[in-house]
Amino acid sequence: MIQVEHLTKTYGGFTAVDDVSFTCRPGTVTGFLGPNGAGKSTTMRIMAGLTIASSGKATVSGVSYRDIPNPGTQVGVLLDASAQHAGRTGREVLTIGQKTMGLPASRVDEMLDLVSLTDKESKRRVRNYSLGMRQRLGIAHALLGDPKILILDEPANGLDPAGIHWMRSLLREYANRGGTVLLSSHLLHEIQIIADEIIVIGNGRIVAQGTKEELLRGDGTFVRAGDNAALAAALRDAGIAANASGEGLGVEAAPEKVGQVAAAAGVALVELRPADGAGLEEMFLQLTAPNQRDQTTRGVPA
Amino acid sequence: MSTASTPVTPVTIDTDRPAVPLTRLVGVELRKSLDTRAGRWFSISILALCAVVMLILAFLVEPGNQDFSFFLSAMGGTLGYFLPIIAIMLVTSEWSQRTALVTFSLEPRRSRVVTAKLVAGLLLSVAVLLLSMVLAAIGTGLASGVRGLDVSWTIDGRELFTFFVTNLIVVLIGFAFAMLLMNTPAAIVAYFVYSLVLPIVVGIVGALIEWFGDLAPWIEFNTAQVPLFTGDGTPTGQEWAQIVTSGVIWLVLPLTFGIIRLLRAEVK
Repeated sequence: MIQVEHLTKTYGGFTAVDDVSFTCRPGTVTGFLGPNGAGKSTTMRIMAGLTIASSGKATVSGVSYRDIPNPGTQVGVLLDASAQHAGRTGREVLTIGQKTMGLPASRVDEMLDLVSLTDKESKRRVRNYSLGMRQRLGIAHALLGDPKILILDEPANGLDPAGIHWMRSLLREYANRGGTVLLSSHLLHEIQIIADEIIVIGNGRIVAQGTKEELLRGDGTFVRAGDNAALAAALRDAGIAANASGEGLGVEAAPEKVGQVAAAAGVALVELRPADGAGLEEMFLQLTAPNQRDQTTRGVPA
Repeated sequence: MSTASTPVTPVTIDTDRPAVPLTRLVGVELRKSLDTRAGRWFSISILALCAVVMLILAFLVEPGNQDFSFFLSAMGGTLGYFLPIIAIMLVTSEWSQRTALVTFSLEPRRSRVVTAKLVAGLLLSVAVLLLSMVLAAIGTGLASGVRGLDVSWTIDGRELFTFFVTNLIVVLIGFAFAMLLMNTPAAIVAYFVYSLVLPIVVGIVGALIEWFGDLAPWIEFNTAQVPLFTGDGTPTGQEWAQIVTSGVIWLVLPLTFGIIRLLRAEVK
């Protein structure tokens, strides 16, 4: 269980994290979604005790991270897969973690196996790793101490589609065993694939949170007819607004109502369903709009 | 019976678990200073340089300078330039390579990491100093055995004290600069300014301006340490006071502010 309560972090006059509160529960994978510079990394660094909050607090099952003895064995953290000494081999990076935490040496091989880094790859220096390999190494490092809680910043960044699905099954299985996962991403589709719960952050503030189903369920209906124009006319006559949407129409009414209008007008339907994630996608696009980038680059980068 | 979801038990954090012991942290820091090509070769290179100095002294320098104590001070003088760089890199590489993110997430009590780095840096320095003592002994042996010179093997406590203490002091100063500046080149430059440029500048200015010459040993640590190693090796009361005041300026204050900075810095 991760609890964030009224967390705020300011740098001079710039507010990087603004009164952020949320909870991550055991058994779920929570996606922390927001554009670059929205405050995700700052929030996660505060959770791991690396950045001091201006006000508010972040705790792990009620305990401040800095008060956890041998924290790597209880909370797995990956804050930046590229933040590894370029001159160390992947195996050496894990060995340092294994020795710090006081784990059996066999853990290193187990983790390399888990993230599918071959023996040969593990003996190469990190400077020669692709971003995807660094992410796998970072995941291996976070899981090294067999923690019950995972905090991962942009872990899917640099992974190919197969890698993203691999990560989904890995984290899904981890959550099913009772683990708590918080992972961040600036890409909606990554979060859609991996997470169950979604927290959307922009400009340091939480703009939406809920289960994936709740957030992706758009208002209204998507409908496609053999004759879209006739259907649009019939809807207009019934006083229902309809706009072109892809190969069909986006309608601001329940699917049942749209079906009734189509039946009454004798228009044959090809497709009728609740509109999908338009709400979340639109909100996300607004957050990533150019003026938003301006605001974050003018302040202190996260 | 549903098997769709496993019953989820609340996850608790065990605050009674043993902390990471300091000995383990020291071991890890020692490993980290030698597990990259750069780190390993730096230590090997400075020992190789000592070996070159030793061979020059044994075979090329005019006879009469081949006592064990001469070799020892030549080793100490050479290492004085390079040992602090080992200490500097132990600290600054965490920031240049950004491994501080991992180091401080595995041990959030940063003072323990700082202590481990200090202990590891001093242990490594002592190891290099001991190996250079072996080189000094080999040099003395070569000068007498191969070159057939008369050499003295005697060494007194003060010479050993000078050899170890001067070098460990500069290692600590290197640490202090590294923590204050958190940047490898800046810390190395700062150290060379302190050890090479400063004594010269203070000497010149002191020769030109009388009152500054009187003040110099109070504020310049290199100069103030001289009575420890020359004459009878026992500083007078005033000389001790000069060692303390200049030591506060160049060692205690930088170390204190460096530790404070490292404990508070935001790790990114």
